[in-house]
Amino acid sequence: MPHTSATDDDSPQEQLLGVDVGGTFTDFVYVRGGQVRIAKRPSTPDDPGRAIADALIEFGWSPEEVIHGSTVATNTLLTRTGANVALITTMGFRDTLAIGRQARPDLYALHPQRRDPLVTRARRFEVDERIAADGSVVTPIAVDEVDRVLDRVERSGARSIAICFLFSFINPEHEALAAERARARGFAVSASYEVLPQHREFERMSTTTANAYLAPVMTSYLDALEARLDDICGQGVRLRIMQSNGGSLSASSAGRNAVRTVISGPAGGVAGAFAAAEGDRYSNAITFDMGGTSADVALCPGRLLERTDLLVDDMPIRTPAVDLHTVGAGGGSIAWFDAGGALRVGPQSAGADPGPAAYGRGRLPTVTDAHVVLGRLRPEQQLGGIVSLDVERARNAIATIAEPFGSVEAAAQAVIDVVNANMARALRVISVERGYDPARFSLVAFGGAGPLHACDLADAVGIPHVLIPSAPGVLSAAGMLIADITRDAERGLHLAIEPADSGRVRRLDEAFDIVAQQAREAVAEDGYQDGVTIEYAADLRYRGQSHELTVRLPGARDAAAVRKAFHAAHSERFGFSSHETPVEVVIARAKARHAGYQGAVGAEHESNAGGSTTEQVIWDRSRATTVAHRGSISSAIEGPAILTQVDTTVTVPPGWSAELLASGSLLLQRTNQGSS
Amino acid sequence: MPPTDVDPARLAIFDSLVSSIAEEMGAALRHTALSPNIKERADFSCAVFDHDGQLLAQAAHIPVHLGAMPESVRAVERLAPWRPGDLAILNDPFLGGTHLPDVTMVSPVFAHDAAEGDEPMGYVASRAHQADIGGMAPGSMPVARELIQEGLVIPPIRLYRGGELVEEAMSLILRNVRTPDERRGDFNAQIAAQRLGAQRLADLQDEYGADRYQQTTGALLDYGERLTRAYLRELPHGSWSFEDVLDDDGHEPDPVPIRLSLTLSEDRAHFDFSGSAPQRAASINAVAPVTRSACYYVIRCLLPPDTPMNSGLFRPITFTLPERSVVAAQSPVAVAAGNVETSQRIVDTVWGAFAQVLPEQMPAASSGTMNNLTAGGVDPRNGQPWAYYETSGGGLGGGPSGPGLDAAHSHMTNTLNTPAEALELAYPLRVIENSIRARSSGAGAHRGGHGLTRRTQFLAPAQVTIISERRRQQPWGASGGLPGRAGRNSLERPAEGRRRSRGNLPGKVTIDVQAGEIIRLDTPGGGGWGAPESR
Repeated sequence: MPHTSATDDDSPQEQLLGVDVGGTFTDFVYVRGGQVRIAKRPSTPDDPGRAIADALIEFGWSPEEVIHGSTVATNTLLTRTGANVALITTMGFRDTLAIGRQARPDLYALHPQRRDPLVTRARRFEVDERIAADGSVVTPIAVDEVDRVLDRVERSGARSIAICFLFSFINPEHEALAAERARARGFAVSASYEVLPQHREFERMSTTTANAYLAPVMTSYLDALEARLDDICGQGVRLRIMQSNGGSLSASSAGRNAVRTVISGPAGGVAGAFAAAEGDRYSNAITFDMGGTSADVALCPGRLLERTDLLVDDMPIRTPAVDLHTVGAGGGSIAWFDAGGALRVGPQSAGADPGPAAYGRGRLPTVTDAHVVLGRLRPEQQLGGIVSLDVERARNAIATIAEPFGSVEAAAQAVIDVVNANMARALRVISVERGYDPARFSLVAFGGAGPLHACDLADAVGIPHVLIPSAPGVLSAAGMLIADITRDAERGLHLAIEPADSGRVRRLDEAFDIVAQQAREAVAEDGYQDGVTIEYAADLRYRGQSHELTVRLPGARDAAAVRKAFHAAHSERFGFSSHETPVEVVIARAKARHAGYQGAVGAEHESNAGGSTTEQVIWDRSRATTVAHRGSISSAIEGPAILTQVDTTVTVPPGWSAELLASGSLLLQRTNQGSS
Repeated sequence: MPPTDVDPARLAIFDSLVSSIAEEMGAALRHTALSPNIKERADFSCAVFDHDGQLLAQAAHIPVHLGAMPESVRAVERLAPWRPGDLAILNDPFLGGTHLPDVTMVSPVFAHDAAEGDEPMGYVASRAHQADIGGMAPGSMPVARELIQEGLVIPPIRLYRGGELVEEAMSLILRNVRTPDERRGDFNAQIAAQRLGAQRLADLQDEYGADRYQQTTGALLDYGERLTRAYLRELPHGSWSFEDVLDDDGHEPDPVPIRLSLTLSEDRAHFDFSGSAPQRAASINAVAPVTRSACYYVIRCLLPPDTPMNSGLFRPITFTLPERSVVAAQSPVAVAAGNVETSQRIVDTVWGAFAQVLPEQMPAASSGTMNNLTAGGVDPRNGQPWAYYETSGGGLGGGPSGPGLDAAHSHMTNTLNTPAEALELAYPLRVIENSIRARSSGAGAHRGGHGLTRRTQFLAPAQVTIISERRRQQPWGASGGLPGRAGRNSLERPAEGRRRSRGNLPGKVTIDVQAGEIIRLDTPGGGGWGAPESR
């Protein structure tokens, strides 16, 4: 049965369902008139929509809107099961997709390998056309040549086409013409000036090709899911998909913009964790999601940060995504000795099969087994209600590496220390290395293993608070629900603003008008015309630089305002600004935003489950440790303590205290500076 | 203090902490630098050392910096005694440097509670390829004969003394380079990275306490040594020889041989380069640190992935380098191409020796050149001078597990190409073709990678320098595979047929190019692996 909790939110009788389809579990958060219901079901990877349909029937839910985080795009890319795609590009450039930026992925690989591009050479076609850097036509495009190329595409068996001509982001004429001819013949078309109108031909080509590869698969998946929802809930259920950047868009748009959903699920997690932190008034948050095989961290300085340099399977995907960094450190990460005798943890993982030794099938020592040995994961606990823990088996696994440490417990602690060091390094990369002081942030921990490690990590990098949201196991699904509905539009410009310029800049105004209009139309198409706000931003750099910063422009957008915003952003990030250098506007961006669900989505914990006991749990030294169900704590408690709940376990180390906030979140704080 | 005092978890954690310092320095340098060569192509390295100048960790994007950074720390010893806030700068290839554009800064690091007269507890260093350091051609990589022609030579000197900038030193340097503002910006980025690294290293010692810190650094180096010894112990023992050649030195047409005798015994490796060519009055000379880096690079490729990077790794490795040779050059010869081209051939030579030791593991030779192209002139769009530097990839060697990569950088470099769209926005150039060079790979059970064809049209007159290799000698195949095709440089003139122009330029050349003309580089393919008929 799902948990139910009443909240004091009395929003109208909306019925909304957030669904996160993960590799192992499909998570649900259902709200109806402020009532929140939470559930978890095993995923059905052969047909991901079946788990959703089954849950709707089992729980008798009839949502008006379903917001969905999907692994369809990611899995399709990783397993290479997308559409047969053809690429049409400028004469001389068809191999750009294969050459990329000419770097090999691993500097010290004895025999470097990389995966073939999504389109084989036989399906990469060239058209004799050329546009110059200033947008002028060097070689005009010939319609009959385009038609001949389309004949060849047809014979190649491809039904989806990516079109990417040089400098189409400045002058899209040629690309638009080719796209029109192709669409008229019934091809699915992804044109680069529509998918990603910005410079650097390889990255634009890669993103556009990925979109062409994913769109047909995504469209048929969503069509089937919509039909199923209509069957179960009656006509007219609105289906929305989470985008990589933490906003959602309609299913019909998601089909055409499939590449914008490649990290849909993790984006929901970041959005959910950040919303939980904001709700608790900790709006400078670092989100930390640790699962079975990896840990994701994201820094949110009062808002979700976006990045446009995502790599999926070594392919650049330049559409906006939440600023997420992943380390190969999870509960299933395997501990081993290298040839020099150092203890290493990961990147190999026992995964879901065979899983940690404690789950009963594996034999290799993992992070989860270390927690079991130290008494932090409890045998009576059933992780996600699925497995029970075999303490003896976990001890035997850790015993295989215990010799240099003197005891099984010391070895288990060593495993935890090493995996923490790996994750602390990732936290430093996203904070200290980019000029953010961790002391001004709180760590929001979720995922099955996140709350077990959160305080240790906070100690390692100097974060003062840890927040554990009330439903850390379904935070992604909750994030889907509360995510705003957003659509982005962007346009490459290459416009210099001189230090002496002031007042409006005509080309900039025009570009912002165009992108704002595009973004507004896109959300209108998704069904939202009222209550839509437009946010402007620009990718800026000093003339001579080759890297841009995306800078928000909340107020005026004249020359002086743009320059000022960039100087400030550059100072904040890099420690200096250069007022005498012209500022280049490389990309103008607009985001149309409509607010998502506003109510609370937390879960309440049964207060009579268990009660608290005191046990000897091995910390760094043996100490009396409070072991309690999370729901049973009413006032603040001092560490060391272990708080259990159905979907995770929270450790409160010595020197830390825990208190329950009104929202249902747990706040952990350091009580004395000296202890570690 | 025996290493057994440091437990196996502490080793991994400490390695992670010192590596973080090097990475943080790298992030600071990259983010604050001005030039595309540092920001976009990441042509730099940062490193952390113990009190004795032993490398503890390195964030390297460029393998040629691998073994060469500790030499810089050794080279600045002459400036001791140090004071807190001192910072040394150098680029002298014969005193701690590699080639002139690589400018290295070294800072002594003092404990937070250091007393007057205390010795440094460690050092941090950063090395960045500066886009120009003066000399006879923009980009400071001309077809030269003497070092002095290549640019400004900076022996180890103090750039900061007790936290104060030595203005005279800075102004002397900036007066001798073509783009002083950009240089100042990039130097400032390096200085910022140095300060950050010094601060973090002192913090780390503070956290550990001086005794435990020293004990742990010692254990980390011993651990590195064990990793290499454990690997070498598994290899067959004996001696293997290999010889490879450079096409020419850019002035005289005769090939330049590099000879190696590799000896593996118990858990040690010895590299003897006796018999390699004497140094030339040309730029193809490699200084000893470059040669050692090339050997370390190959060892690092053989070690397991995620192997940490410290001096201990290289303790079991010894060298015999003939003096005044092309692999251990001494003043006054030029060295720019030694760093970018000869380093590749040294790798090929070491690779070829190991291919006999481990025929079932080692891939064939890769393209063996960085295909360096520098160009400059005046941009008719704005009347401003411009300078452009690009390196291009080629085919990688086929190997036991599959074909070689097409059109990629190999071995001693891994810098990115400049996108055509970025290039054309910035310079009076147009990229006409950027394609995989068909039929250029060496055949084999697993073929080599294909080279690259890149045709760049000049929209205004320019001076162009090409420094490239494997234009005559082909990248060799391994285990019965055939060699890849040699590269070719051409100047296409609109009036003449394309066919007529094929290969009309030598491998190393400086020429004047007119508007409308096209420079075409066809880069070498990789050698094949395994006999072709066994496919």
